[in-house]
Amino acid sequence: MNRRRIYIVLAIVCFVTLLGLAWVAPDLSSSANRSNSSLKPWEYWPLGTDRYGRPIIDYATQGARVIALPSLVAGLLVALFGMGGGLIRCVEVPTLQAAVQFVGEIIGALPRMVVILVVALLLPLDWRSLMPRAVVWAVLCAPGAIDEAGAVAARLGGTRFVEALKAHGFGAWRIYVHHIVLLNLRPVLVRQGAEAMMTVAFLEVALSYLAVVEDQSSFTHSDNLRSWADLLKEGYLWVALGIDSSHVLFVGLGMLGLIVLTATALTKAAEAR
Amino acid sequence: MKFWWIQPLARAIVAFALPLLVPALITAMIWALPGNPAEIICPPSICTGGEELAARWNLDKGPLGFYSHWVGSAFQLDFGDSWRVLTGKPVLELMRQTIPNTLLLIVLALIPITLGSTLGAFQQPSKRWDPLLVFLNVLPVVVLALLAAAVVEINFPGAEDEGLVYWIRMLAAALTLGIADGALSGAILGNRSMFEQENQQRYVGISVLRGEGNFANTLPNLAGALVGQYRSRIVHLLSAAVIVEKIVGVDGFGALLWNGTLKQDFGVVLAAATVFATLSSGLLLCQAIVEVAQNLHQRRAPKIDMDEVQI
Repeated sequence: MNRRRIYIVLAIVCFVTLLGLAWVAPDLSSSANRSNSSLKPWEYWPLGTDRYGRPIIDYATQGARVIALPSLVAGLLVALFGMGGGLIRCVEVPTLQAAVQFVGEIIGALPRMVVILVVALLLPLDWRSLMPRAVVWAVLCAPGAIDEAGAVAARLGGTRFVEALKAHGFGAWRIYVHHIVLLNLRPVLVRQGAEAMMTVAFLEVALSYLAVVEDQSSFTHSDNLRSWADLLKEGYLWVALGIDSSHVLFVGLGMLGLIVLTATALTKAAEAR
Repeated sequence: MKFWWIQPLARAIVAFALPLLVPALITAMIWALPGNPAEIICPPSICTGGEELAARWNLDKGPLGFYSHWVGSAFQLDFGDSWRVLTGKPVLELMRQTIPNTLLLIVLALIPITLGSTLGAFQQPSKRWDPLLVFLNVLPVVVLALLAAAVVEINFPGAEDEGLVYWIRMLAAALTLGIADGALSGAILGNRSMFEQENQQRYVGISVLRGEGNFANTLPNLAGALVGQYRSRIVHLLSAAVIVEKIVGVDGFGALLWNGTLKQDFGVVLAAATVFATLSSGLLLCQAIVEVAQNLHQRRAPKIDMDEVQI
């Protein structure tokens, strides 16, 4: 099996694992059971328990549920924006190109976290979910994707490349979708999408962590769900105070590692030959 | 390129428009969302006296009235009082206390990034180190910030945040910002590949034959791109500072913004968002100026004394 196939299989396995975890997540987290507190994975299958005796698998699966769909949507949106940016470079519409660049300049100049926090403040509490933040994040990531895809399309020759393929008798679908997007823009689009997916997951963990340490509700999920940030918070007690919760930290880091592995495998699988 | 001035001009226009655009977008959002604007900026579950609040914030005068009053006051550095972070305290005073810490943090965080950029410009470190750089590239800021906070807590448990502890906290936060989310590895790898590509240009080869160095020739041509990279890194640092300041415990502007959001303090958040946008505008303007200087430098024709020209 060549290296590309290995990465494709790895990306599929990681992504299916993430979706599987999200699928089996319970709607409510288990209640506390002090008699089971801080049990290791070999004492309480499969991932052990926290200080209050709650199974850590609940945190892992519910965290996956919070993250899976919004991060996927953000990744797809960024890839779509990038595709649009690349294709615009291949058509002779200078006003549209200038407008895209101008809007991109504005969006690119906004500090992303500030925008996310303003959105978090203004959206009603009933809309508390990662999805709107993920969509906003995707819009904020779009200028980078558009720029990079545009640069690739420009290196390809832009409109001259399209004219040359037209001269060979190819139709619009074959030129724009097959030759430009699939053969040439694919590595950039997949990488940008995978990065956006990863950063949305990190964003969720960061926002939830900041809320959790102040005993506040998270902006990204309802109170009946737990995030991977809860795992990091509990695990931090082991690092800073020596409380026996190392296994919780490793599960939290493992979950973040799963996201990184998914994004890396996707990127590598889509690299140009 | 004949119209080289279009891009810097666009950047300059955006730079001047951004501080006005951010409050405008927030205003548009308040009125675009379903429900009463006063209830959006402070939900009834938290705030009472919706009508009084609407009158105090000029929300009853419609989006234009609210916006023009707020921008007019902001130009006079009157951002109003905090509602919930420190009730009754002027937002300007809160910003005066926190902005210097954040600026210091950003400057300190730029040290490893600048060192990395310089190394990259000289094609260092060798590609053998790339796996380590790729690993650093994916380290999320929240994990590194937790590590930094733990180091401070373990070594100085319960200590007052002044003197040595203040500086240790600051350095730990700066190191986190300077490494996390690919800040350091991006600076090294980005600059290395940029200079590597530029070194393959013909003019560099000719300058080497003339006995000149690569760097002195490539730097003026890459100045605009380098400043652009720096700008986006600083904007990214400003964003990440919200997380790092809160976790590591630095009393900065990012932490103020987070507290304002968590406590639904619209006054603080609106002012902080505008100030962040103004900082970003300043950076954008710097980039535009460098791009203009670079293009003028490239187009400056050498003076030739025609009397000395022999045909």
